[in-house]
This record gives sequence, C-alpha cells and structure tokens, in this order.
Amino acid sequence: MDATVQIRGVSKLYPTGGQGASWALDDVSLDIRAGEFMCAIGPSGCGKTTLLNMVAGFIEPTRGTLTFDGREINGPGSDRGVVFQEYALFPWLTARKNVEFGLKQQHVPPAERRKIVDEFLALAGLTHAANRYPFELSGGMRQRVAVVRALVTKPRILLMDEPFAAVDAMTRATLQEELLRIWKEVGLGIFFITHNIEEAVFLAQRIVVMSPFPGRVKEVVDVDLPYPRDRGSPEFGALYNRVSRSFHHGELAP
Amino acid sequence: MNEGARVPAIAAAERKAIEEAFEAEQRASKRRRFRRQVTLNVVGVLLFLALWEIAPRVVPGINLQMFPPPSHVVGTLGSMIASGELFKHMLASLARAAQGFLIGSVLGVLAGLLTGQLPVMRNLSDPVLHGLRSIPAIAFVPLAIVWFGLGEMSKVALIAWGTFFPVWLNTFIGVRDVPNVLLRSAASLGCRGASVLFSVVLPSALPFILAGLRQATATAFVMLVAAELVGASSGLGYLISFSHLVFRVDMMFVGLMALGALGFVADRIFVALLPRIFPWYGGESRR
Repeated sequence: MDATVQIRGVSKLYPTGGQGASWALDDVSLDIRAGEFMCAIGPSGCGKTTLLNMVAGFIEPTRGTLTFDGREINGPGSDRGVVFQEYALFPWLTARKNVEFGLKQQHVPPAERRKIVDEFLALAGLTHAANRYPFELSGGMRQRVAVVRALVTKPRILLMDEPFAAVDAMTRATLQEELLRIWKEVGLGIFFITHNIEEAVFLAQRIVVMSPFPGRVKEVVDVDLPYPRDRGSPEFGALYNRVSRSFHHGELAP
Repeated sequence: MNEGARVPAIAAAERKAIEEAFEAEQRASKRRRFRRQVTLNVVGVLLFLALWEIAPRVVPGINLQMFPPPSHVVGTLGSMIASGELFKHMLASLARAAQGFLIGSVLGVLAGLLTGQLPVMRNLSDPVLHGLRSIPAIAFVPLAIVWFGLGEMSKVALIAWGTFFPVWLNTFIGVRDVPNVLLRSAASLGCRGASVLFSVVLPSALPFILAGLRQATATAFVMLVAAELVGASSGLGYLISFSHLVFRVDMMFVGLMALGALGFVADRIFVALLPRIFPWYGGESRR
C-alpha cells in the first residue's frame, strides 16, 4: 500500500483565447499518499482540474515530473480511476454495461465479470437500476454508476473532478457519506476536486488550497477530525474558518 | 387540531368512487380526442379526392385526358396491379435504389470515419468533397450515361453518388463531435486502439449516421427517378416517361403514387427502427 502520486515542480503553459499563453500551473509540488483522502480546493483558474488531468495522464506538464508508484505517468490507465462532473457515462450502455466496460477492456471472462459487477452495483445500492440507461437515472444515481464504473478495475487512486457539483444539496450530502463508506470499504486513495469548503472539510484528511493566476499551491491543511464528522461541531467550524481564510485572503493567522 | 380536521373527511368509499369517475372521464376524453383526429384526417383525404374528382369536370379548358379524376386512376391502377406491370416497375426501381444506396452509404460511412478521425485526411479531402457536394447531383446524369451507358450501372452509380454525401457529412460530424469526456473515460478504463473506435466512437456517432442514412433515402429516390427518366426500359421513372410519350396521364398518376408510397414506406421503416436500435437515444423527449 505504498502507491503515491509524486508531483515535482510541475508547470503547465496554456494558450489563451486570443494570443499569447498563460501559466495554468506554476511550480507545483505535492504528494498524494497511499490510501489518503485528499481534497483540492481553490477558485476557478487555480489549475486544480489541470493538475487532476495530468495525474490522470490526459495532458502532459510543460515542466516538471509526475510519478505514480515510482513510475513516470505517460498516458491514462486503469490504475487511476476518473470520475467527471457529469455526462461521462456512455449513454448507449445500461448501468450494468457501463460498470462492466473496464473489465471488458481487460478481457475478464463473462462469468467473473458478472460477479464483480453485481458486487459493485450492490456496494453503491444500484442493483435495482442495473438494466436502466443513463437517461432513466437521476443525477445522483448517474454519479454512483460513474464511481463504481471507475472502481471495478481496482485502481489504486480515484481522481474526482467536482463530481457532486451538479446534484442537489440533499443528494450531495448522501453521496458524500456513501463515498466515505466506499473509500473505507475498498481502501484506495482519493484525490477530490471541489470549490465547496464544507465539502472539503467533511471529506478530506488533507486539503490542498490553491490560488490562481498563476496556479499555485497556497497551503496544505491537515484535517485531523475523526469520521464520521459532525458539520455542527465547533471543531468542524474552526477548520471551516481556517480553510475559508486561506481560500479568500491568502494571509493565515499563525 | 390541525387545519385539515375542520373539513369533514371524505369517506373511503366515496373517495374511491370519485377517483373511478375521474379516471373514466380521463379515458373517455382521450378516446374522444383520438376519434376526432382520425375523423378529421379521413375527411381531409375525402375532401382532396372530391375536389380532384370534380375539378376536371367543372373547370373550363381542362379535359379528363389531361387531368384524370380519381375514378379513372383507380381503374388504371387496378388493371396495372392485375397485369403485374406496376409490380414489375416497382421491383426494378427498388433493386436499383437498394444497390446504389448500399454502395453509397458504405462509402459514406467509411469516408466519414476517416475524415472525422484523422485531421490529415480531413484537411486533404475537405475542399474537394465540399466542392463536389455543391454540384446538384442531378447534373451528373448525362455524365453517368456517357461513362456507364444506359444500363443498370449508370443508375446505380448515380444513386450511390447522391447517397454518399449526406451519409459522409453526417458521419463526419458524429465522429468529430464524440464528447471528449467519453473518450477520456474510456481511456482511463483501459480502452485502446481499435477498441476506442468500436466501443466509443461508432456508438456515439451512430445517431448521426442514421440521420444521414434517412436523409439519403430521399436523395436516392430523386436520383433514381432522374436516371430512369432519361434512359431505361423498366422502373417507375420509365413508367412515367413512357406514359408521357403515349399520352396516358392516368398511368403517369399511378407512377407518381407508387413513388410516393415507396418513399413514405421507406421513411416510416426508419422511424419505426430508430427506437429499437437506440433505446437510449432521445429518451428525455420520449418520456
């Protein structure tokens, strides 16, 4: 269980709309430890999605290195699962076939495939919806399918890009609790992007606060509250305020 | 005491009776609307036929040879069906349309895949393909006859030509616009190489391809008639052209009606197939 993502001196130059270019990330170094739940938070333009896309292997850094499990990341792979904000399910496949997709790519025999898929559908409470198409599912159910689809290939880390931003507040709270349950049950690392401070404090063991123009890591905050966390507790409020100050002002009280 | 308690509660039996009456009324009103719609449809057709029947007899300067009323056309239609003549022409036309459509759409899908997937192919072929597409396909009829003669070859080639462009263009758009997030999802699930094409690109583009094929059926019929009008010894286009020579407008009308029926049936088949092929597509609007 020593799989870690090591990000060392990573910068990324992007072309801007008209002419010229801008640094989406500037000299970012960060470790994502094996099995930890890490949230990245920051205003738009801070490069948090760029960072996730580089760990996923969708894009390459302009400068610097990213390694996973000691090997340099070059391209996407099923050892790193990805969950997108919305509409990432294959609309032509039922929930079951969506979840099965990764196993099919690995040529897992059908009988075994079925067993694994059933297991994961049950884990996310989706057994009754297995044969429905994405358009027949609610937003929350679609995201559950997306999460288990990314989990079936047994990745070491799950990369989640604002996965609950498009669902309503009630569903979001449920999904957060389910994600923590799955995280503990499956035992893998999670790198979770959000712009919601409360979500980050509720979920993460460590929170990376980022700042924009150019995208930089401003601070890494340890959240040493036990799970399950109580949003109404004074400790929760204190951490919320601490992250909030870092997020908004940049200066932190010592 | 809550507010609801001030109103006397409706007895369970009474509530049930109200519900049943309400549902019965809903069903009856739905039936009435449907009956009314069908009645109006039928009345519309009858009005059209009546007008057509009367017009040639009352409008001065029109004779029944030039503008045969439905009563005459039905007789001709019956005798042409009985003699097997109509069936023979329809079959000849359908065979040509099917061959040309098949060739044109296979080439169209292949070209769409290539140009949609490979920017090099796209940039190489864009000016030429769009240039050729801008020429009305019918303008190629004389050229096809010069090149391929008056036989089946020229007709099939013309229909394939007309079919190719709508299929190519729609396939191209579908392949080019596969959502990036789906490609990324697939890649992170270990999907590589040819598997990307068959598991992601093609299914994602399939609704566009089908739209192109549907459009192409209409074009195929246009090209069919154009080719058959110019030189053929069978087919519905030939029937119409021949009727012109022998001045049998009633036979001409039969040919036109047969073409309309074929086109209509072809399109209906598409519409009926769509939800079977794509149980997942347009789901939001079907609900």
